[in-house]
Amino acid sequence: MKNLNRYGYFFIAPFWLVFLVFSIYPVALTFYYSFTNYTGSGEAQLVGLANYKRLLTDTYFVEAFFNTWKIWGVNFALQMGLALILAMIFSDMRVKLKGIAFFRAIFYLPNLITISSVALLFGILLDWQHGSLNMMLMKLGIISDPINWLNEPTSAQLSISLILTWMWFGHSFIVVMAGVSGISKDYYEAALIDGANRWQTFSKITIPLLKPILLYIMITSLIGGLQLFDLPMLLTDGIGSPDGSLNTMVLYLYNQAFKYNNYGYAAAVAYGLFVITLIFSAFIFKGMYGKERKQPRQV
Amino acid sequence: MKRKLSIFLVAILLVGLFAGCSSDSKTSGNGKKDVDLRIWSFTDELKKPIKTFEEKNGVKVELTIVPIADYPTKLKPVLESGVGAPDVFTGEIAFLKQWVDAGYWENLSEKPYNADELSDKYVPYVFDLGKDKDGDVRALSWQTTPGGIYYKRSIAKEVLGTDDPTQVGEMMGSMDKVFEVAEKMKSKGYSMFPDEGAIRWFTQGDNPQPWVNDKNELQLTEEKMEYMDYSKKLRDNQYTALAPEWSPSWFEGMDKPIKVKEGGKEKETQVFSYVLPTWGLHSVLKTNVKESVGDWAVTSGPSPYFWGGTWLGVYNKSDNKELAYKFVKMMTQDDEFLTSWSKETGDVLSYLPVTDSIKDDFSDKFLGGQNNYQFFLDQSTKITPGIVTKYDQQLDTLYGNAVQQYVTGKKSKKEAINEFYQKAQNAYPDIKVPKK
Repeated sequence: MKNLNRYGYFFIAPFWLVFLVFSIYPVALTFYYSFTNYTGSGEAQLVGLANYKRLLTDTYFVEAFFNTWKIWGVNFALQMGLALILAMIFSDMRVKLKGIAFFRAIFYLPNLITISSVALLFGILLDWQHGSLNMMLMKLGIISDPINWLNEPTSAQLSISLILTWMWFGHSFIVVMAGVSGISKDYYEAALIDGANRWQTFSKITIPLLKPILLYIMITSLIGGLQLFDLPMLLTDGIGSPDGSLNTMVLYLYNQAFKYNNYGYAAAVAYGLFVITLIFSAFIFKGMYGKERKQPRQV
Repeated sequence: MKRKLSIFLVAILLVGLFAGCSSDSKTSGNGKKDVDLRIWSFTDELKKPIKTFEEKNGVKVELTIVPIADYPTKLKPVLESGVGAPDVFTGEIAFLKQWVDAGYWENLSEKPYNADELSDKYVPYVFDLGKDKDGDVRALSWQTTPGGIYYKRSIAKEVLGTDDPTQVGEMMGSMDKVFEVAEKMKSKGYSMFPDEGAIRWFTQGDNPQPWVNDKNELQLTEEKMEYMDYSKKLRDNQYTALAPEWSPSWFEGMDKPIKVKEGGKEKETQVFSYVLPTWGLHSVLKTNVKESVGDWAVTSGPSPYFWGGTWLGVYNKSDNKELAYKFVKMMTQDDEFLTSWSKETGDVLSYLPVTDSIKDDFSDKFLGGQNNYQFFLDQSTKITPGIVTKYDQQLDTLYGNAVQQYVTGKKSKKEAINEFYQKAQNAYPDIKVPKK
């Protein structure tokens, strides 16, 4: 009977085989390539740490880093703000809004559209000469000349941020609502009886109890945000125009690998990106949970 | 019993896991005859020739079409490993240079192909592009893709007094002359070009140089730098309709007047001309123009140029090289096939024995009966071979970007050029970039 136990290993073998072949092997191979000058064909030669040295002094990578943060940051602030406000309205016991399921679906819809369709849609909306947005603004007399949205660094970045917000606030809203429904009604009833106003209820009960949920959203959004690639790639010429303002880290990686054939360097960029993601995730985690651990001692 | 059952279950799981991995068609017997030849391409233009080839030779050919954006990344691994690889594959001009040097294509200069003997039967630049860095032929092409300026005859008659292609071509024989015409167009309310990017093909002028020379130095020639000024002049003097290539308004401008907003005012303007190569006629103009059919003509610009093109060759690890080359031969050297192909599609061929016999009696209704075939052949022989490098596609994009920065007034000419140098160096660390 004893040796029957090993059959368990056979059962988990398929997963491990797939995991090794399709996850571990490419990750390890990328690591190896990051020390070579591989160009996509022919032999790869080891070049030591040259790629990493180049990465640390690469102004374009630094630019890409800050661009990615700017675009993600603005998007995240707006997205969370919107999601929280909506959650506050929909969970308010005094208002008791109806049709929450309907709104949830509507808000979530943009998230279901493929990125290429989104890019096409906004490409047309934001078009300089014939886009609906400029037409509308000009009809309303807000602007006299059409604005070339995707041709100015700031407006281009802001456009991407807003599109991302539009796409993702519904998702965050649903997750926040799920968190809110997990909070016991007793707290809110007690607050109601004690005469707390909406803001107090929200900031003293909802937010603190939502912390784990907010942390989850923040980290997943950060990881997704740092990998921002498709929108900047599709909305302009694919190399980060205008003036390099849409050059995000993954776009930079993509261009280095598949356009300029610097596979070795692109592999190093990938590992740089991995380290950055790791550091910031740890940072957020520490920031949100670091204080809490101390609390029990105070009690 | 239990034990046997679990071994059985595990076996099923493992079989299921690896089922997707066996792609060798010889083992996957679906009753049909095995495929004799596999061909990969990025367009469907080979569909008809393959049918002809199948009927002629009694073989079965499988065509795999991969969209151009994924083509190199999908093709590379199969060529590298040889698993599921095609016997014949095509290459587009954008990555042709990399591929002829990568060594995946069979050396056609060797026996039994002896492709070098064909050299004087082809348009020189086309034949030259299929050679690797050692001068061996790796790929051949059946077409040539020189470009010209397509213009509207009615506007030419009204503004320039003639719609004859030769005369109009002479009026645009240099960049200065182009601006003279542009000024005349503007005074009558027309736009010379859809946008300033249209003239990028003429930037080589009469001094064509490769982007990167054999000493690995980046060369931004005087002529290419002047392109910045020309573009700015086009924009500043409002000679264009501000409709970037491939944008909706760019297409719209082919058939009817388009609206342009500048300085708060809206004006309506008709675009006089489009700078496009051979294929621009069939796959761009003809598919988008409805009303002005017959009102078009094509003529030469300040300098000859070419844009695009498809080459094909034999995979060097193919098991069926003989048949593979037979297909290449049909596509590039078969008198009978090429004659009918050219008449059917209007494709301008690079194989001179056939073009010589058919060029005289070509005429296109769309171009008001003009013999565009003769025109393009003349243009194609004027193109300098040896100026294409593997860097072209990316450097063109980066430079185009720098030009935009200057044209829209965001950067001075010097700043824009410096930024171009920096970006070129970043993309290709091994090339030598001029110190500012």
